[in-house]
Amino acid sequence: MTSRRPTPGSQTSLREANRARIVDSLKVYGRLTQVELAGVTGLSPATVSNIVKELSGYGIVHTSASSRSGRRAVEVTLARQLGLVAGLHFSSRHLRVAVADVAHTVVAENSVPVALEHRYDRELDRAALLLSDMLETLGAGLPDLLAVGLALPVPVDRTTGRVSAPGILRGWEGVHIGEELEARLQRPVVVDSDADVGALAEYRYGAGTDARGLAYVRVGHTISGALIIGGEVFRGTTGKAGQIGHVTIDENGPICRCGSRGCLETLAGGPALLDLFRGDPGMQRLRDLLARAESGDASARRVIADAGRHIGIAAANLCNLFDPDVLVVGGELATAGETLLAPLRHSLERSVLAGLTDSPRIVRGELGERAELVGAVALAIESIGVVGDSAVASVGA
Amino acid sequence: MPGPALSVARPDEHPDRILSLRGITKRFGAVRALTGVDLDVHVGEVVAIVGDNGAGKSTLVKILAGVHPADGGSIRFFGQLTPIDSPTDSLDLGIATVFQDLALCDSLDVVSNLWLGRELTRAGALDEVEMEKRSWGLLRELHARITDVRVPVASLSGGQRQTVAIARSLIGDPHVVILDEPTAALGVSQTAEVLNLIERLRDRGLGVILVSHNIADVLAVADRVVVLRLGRNNGEFRASETSSDALIAAITGAMDHSRRGGDDPE
Repeated sequence: MTSRRPTPGSQTSLREANRARIVDSLKVYGRLTQVELAGVTGLSPATVSNIVKELSGYGIVHTSASSRSGRRAVEVTLARQLGLVAGLHFSSRHLRVAVADVAHTVVAENSVPVALEHRYDRELDRAALLLSDMLETLGAGLPDLLAVGLALPVPVDRTTGRVSAPGILRGWEGVHIGEELEARLQRPVVVDSDADVGALAEYRYGAGTDARGLAYVRVGHTISGALIIGGEVFRGTTGKAGQIGHVTIDENGPICRCGSRGCLETLAGGPALLDLFRGDPGMQRLRDLLARAESGDASARRVIADAGRHIGIAAANLCNLFDPDVLVVGGELATAGETLLAPLRHSLERSVLAGLTDSPRIVRGELGERAELVGAVALAIESIGVVGDSAVASVGA
Repeated sequence: MPGPALSVARPDEHPDRILSLRGITKRFGAVRALTGVDLDVHVGEVVAIVGDNGAGKSTLVKILAGVHPADGGSIRFFGQLTPIDSPTDSLDLGIATVFQDLALCDSLDVVSNLWLGRELTRAGALDEVEMEKRSWGLLRELHARITDVRVPVASLSGGQRQTVAIARSLIGDPHVVILDEPTAALGVSQTAEVLNLIERLRDRGLGVILVSHNIADVLAVADRVVVLRLGRNNGEFRASETSSDALIAAITGAMDHSRRGGDDPE
């Protein structure tokens, strides 16, 4: 859980950090008594009581009288406004689930590792069960959900509701994904690609709030991208717009899972990078590579830098076509920071059309790996507005 | 443009290899439970052992835990040839085993369970305060979903009990943690809890041996998958490059990956 602090070490920052600890714990557990909060956060009961009082004054938490093992207790939950939504994000290796109120306040969050080659039915079953368990800890149920936003690591055609680029996420092809999840939850579901919602989240709440045109590149196990033009996500006709991972870098390069050759992903995607360390048991996942680079391992840093260079070439093409003023780099590999971004910037600047002012500003995403989850929640909330007041009315009735 | 894939040179020795089993053999009377089984575990790696009932998974775990000594083969720990003849040997090496039944004392609270047999004392009396403090520290580090450490373990959910058992195994600062069917009989949220916990053990740099029937769980958290069939190795897969179909083919024997298939005496 990340928390932004003002001046480290000061009394204010300490207090803010303690507040964040309490709010974060409530997101994880749903409902807790003050005594349990003290145990979970490691803060003293007096501090917890003070902060809870303060937060409850601001309307951030809600307290109610309860009892635990026969004793009176004060139960604390995150306060929420009428109506809940859920955001689900399947990345290549994780399923993340968040429950939020319509004011975008996340009140519960959970995640679970998933297998690379998974099938949609089993994972949707699991997501539905996880979600209903999470709602239960909040004292709510599936009927309280106004809408659900689902983000997938593949372009989704919003008119057909199906995966629009075959080969990328095999276990999810050929089904109307939204309807499948709706059948399990009995609630309205909106589906989009994770790059699109990640871009939306960074544009609204993250690194791109001042952008007029934003390009988002998500680099992790896979490489995807999205565009925001005129404040709206530009999806193209079938949702494939901005898929930078499948820009051809080398005509004669390795065969890509999309069926083409030499795509950016075959050179800079997670498996391609890890393949360079084949036979090294300490290098099995991207986080191993990132940890090595962090500790100063030259080959790990070189591999990440080369990935940055390749992404820069593709991103330059994207920038030449759509002329954004900010390029946000998100996904797991972005945590490498300048190790990735400096070479990316360098190679982009070589091939991008020079303007009178500067070339696009290249920044790391501020929301980190949660961007897509935040975006999925935003997607769900937005859909309520589109559906109109009928959804809200039906819950209120 | 990109040149050919450059392979990073590998040193010959394996400083990261915690545990290395070669040709492990175990007989129970006339039954050959294990025949020439190999297994490696490295630092910060999750190795899954999968196989059908009677494939030898539990026997292998018991050999590592010191319950049964192996009849033949070698066990190396950080390169040193080390026999494991008793559970104490195993614990002393830094191998912690969490058996399927968890071996928790239902009537004791979380703190007492964590420190059972290793209680901290001060001036001759139990140092409950320190034990509780350290318990919270450990549970917080594991992001454990436990809200009260002074309730009897009997009142916890299946996932929480598994968490307590795993946390207990970490008290002795082990190098390897063996988890025997940790997600069997758990619900979806509780399974999620345990899978996240396995990721955290990996992040701590521990070697994790995960014995499981659930292929989906295995593929979600494991780095390598070792398939046992009828007491022999039947293939080793990188989890990121295999599919559940390939694993099941190896488990059932539809695909023969055993390296000694040719000179099998039988």
